[in-house]
Amino acid sequence: MKEVLNPRERFGLLVIDEKPDRCNIIPLITSHSATVYKIGLKEYYTNGKTMAKAQIAAIEEYGHDAISIFSEVGIIAEAMGSEFIYPDDDLPVLKSPILTKVDVFALKVPNPQKDGRLPIYLEAIDYAYSAVGDKIPILAYVPAPFTTGMMLSDPNQFLLATIKNPNQVKAIIEMSLKAAIDFCYEIINAGGLPIIVDPLASSSVISPRAYQEFALPGEQGLIQFLHRYDFDVILHICGDTTPILDLLLQTGADLISLDKVALKLAIEKLAKKMRIIGNFDTTKIGFGTVDEILKETKAMTRIGMRAEKGYIVATGCEVPIFTPTENVKAFIRAAKEAGWYWD
Amino acid sequence: MPKKIGLSDWSEQFKLVSVEQIKKFTYYHNSEWGIYLSPPATFMVYGTRELKRLKLDNSFAALRLWGFVFNESERLFRAKQIGKKVIATMGDLGIVPVIIMAFPDCVPFYPECIWWTPFFKESTVLLDTATQLGIPEATCFSKATLGAFYKRAYFPRPDAIFASTGASCDDYSCIMQLVEDLGYEIVWLEIPLRKGQKAYPNNASGRLEEYLIGEYQRVWKKMVELTGISNKNQLIKSIKKANQLRNLVTSIKNLTYEAPKAPLPGLELMTIEFGNLYGYADIEEWIDILKMIKRTIEDRIEKGLGVLQEDAIPIAWITPSADPLLLNLVEDAGLRIVQTEYVINQALVPIEEDIDPFRALARAFLQASLIGKTSERVKRIIAGVKEGKIKGVLITNMLGASHCAMETGLIMRFLSAVPVLAIDVPQPFGITEQLKTRILAFAETLKH
Repeated sequence: MKEVLNPRERFGLLVIDEKPDRCNIIPLITSHSATVYKIGLKEYYTNGKTMAKAQIAAIEEYGHDAISIFSEVGIIAEAMGSEFIYPDDDLPVLKSPILTKVDVFALKVPNPQKDGRLPIYLEAIDYAYSAVGDKIPILAYVPAPFTTGMMLSDPNQFLLATIKNPNQVKAIIEMSLKAAIDFCYEIINAGGLPIIVDPLASSSVISPRAYQEFALPGEQGLIQFLHRYDFDVILHICGDTTPILDLLLQTGADLISLDKVALKLAIEKLAKKMRIIGNFDTTKIGFGTVDEILKETKAMTRIGMRAEKGYIVATGCEVPIFTPTENVKAFIRAAKEAGWYWD
Repeated sequence: MPKKIGLSDWSEQFKLVSVEQIKKFTYYHNSEWGIYLSPPATFMVYGTRELKRLKLDNSFAALRLWGFVFNESERLFRAKQIGKKVIATMGDLGIVPVIIMAFPDCVPFYPECIWWTPFFKESTVLLDTATQLGIPEATCFSKATLGAFYKRAYFPRPDAIFASTGASCDDYSCIMQLVEDLGYEIVWLEIPLRKGQKAYPNNASGRLEEYLIGEYQRVWKKMVELTGISNKNQLIKSIKKANQLRNLVTSIKNLTYEAPKAPLPGLELMTIEFGNLYGYADIEEWIDILKMIKRTIEDRIEKGLGVLQEDAIPIAWITPSADPLLLNLVEDAGLRIVQTEYVINQALVPIEEDIDPFRALARAFLQASLIGKTSERVKRIIAGVKEGKIKGVLITNMLGASHCAMETGLIMRFLSAVPVLAIDVPQPFGITEQLKTRILAFAETLKH
């Protein structure tokens, strides 16, 4: 089949409930692009232009359908004062959460133009938008308030506080929400479409009750802000979200990106109201054989295409950094072969 | 204070817009997906890249206007999704949609208006696609239409296509034929050339009228076949609606041109003028927006406020610019647009309401810009020059468009009483410092 549309056109049709030539294919190629661009990870996440160039190089290599500006979920927490270590060959690691030093009421909403590595992200978005934004959507991943809250705190203490001191957790989330909104505002002005990522709200980490009480309100607040702009909002939660599938409908997200969930079940529960994104096993793409990836991606794509409001072929979480390029190519080739809508 | 502002200022202003206001304005009365009151940043994020550089009017009415205009592609798809018939009307620029709107749930649109898209998006995607499909590079930017028909991502597959040929733009006639080659069924109309009494000695205008009436009746018949409905009273109502829009736009233009300080920028005015073609696919909502625009203008005039300096030099603009940024640049150079000839005169004039509706439409079309003598086309501008209201004339040529190549020299001769600057609109994202300098030099000439 001959592709008729470019990624921008393809995504544009999806969000107005029209079938494009084929499925959008957006594996979560984030820091893996540093591998494609043959640079060190530290260079990727500390230099905006480099991040954008690596992303563009990955698109040129693979032919998927969106730029994904992202490295890790600590970026807002870092801009609010949490300290991270920058290893040369790995992603930033949380060293000293700000709330181990100061009280929640001393937290400040960061300035995205100045604080932490937020300006690096904005530079990456701006560069990518100028370079390829006419043909390719620029997606910018924004950690949701709950996930940022945990990065501001000692993670264990934060989780305990959801039981022992819920008001404090809510206060942290409220500040994180303000920070996320300000960051989204600048992302939009730079040309990026914010995607909300809330990996630590996964049922692999917290209970459905804790999700409903703490994570969901933060997601809703951010989604409401983005809906003011009439954006179609993508929410990504990694891990197992089977126990909260029904609650996801309450987020207001227009597209839901899932990981460890049976795709058929997700479609059954969500696809009348949400477009479905997902959910190829990232272990498989990282370590599987090409034949396995080809076969399983095609099978997944055929199931996903049954989603009424539309489907994006994706990995369940980020493509592992050192995934062999032939594996990613196999994934995309299979999705392109199986994901055709037009005659 | 009224002024033109850039994207980040608009984003800042948008913070003050309440959710209730956002939800208040919808197209097709649909509150789920019909909301269009979004800031420029929304459309920029979805690929309208020139919005990073364009300056737009800062009024709430302008926010509505731009939200509605940039939303058109989605609106056409939504129209089809809810069972409306989407009808492409090509080449006649102003008459056939009046017939289409006489049929319930039929939405006309002009595919050629997509010629602005490559410039708004700062992208050659559609132009390159057209070239790959057989249109030479040196062709009018309306060739983007061919790319859009091929891609099927900019408007839905039309339920019917009416295309005008004959005394129309040669380039666009070729483009329309290539659209047919893509497998689209087209109903062709012939546009007659309007000549003087010598060419048609026996009641020239009457013969042309009769010819056009026959053509419009063919359109009517096809629409009756398509919808199963035939109600001439609806055509009379449609003409009244078109006139409501035309009168509103005329008053907006007159108010703006005659105010001591320009109450609205030239870019918004051009967008308003072209809305006369088909009401941007929801004429009711478009008229409501224009009423708000008019109130804004009246308020600004009453308060003595404007978006340009009082000493901005009045000029006329001939042939619309495919690149909206040029209108910003011209105003930034200290010029003010007070008269236009955007090749759509037939969409601006009132349609007679007390005669047979087809005859009325034919008579309106016979006032079209491009089917007759150049002297006719520029007579309003010549009058403005004589009255001292117009100090200079700017002509934007489209590379390859035959009427530009043939007419620009003639127009310059007719308008020799004032300085005239003719420029070729460059490719998307192609405005050079050299071109800016030419505009600045033109403005300097007019000032001294």
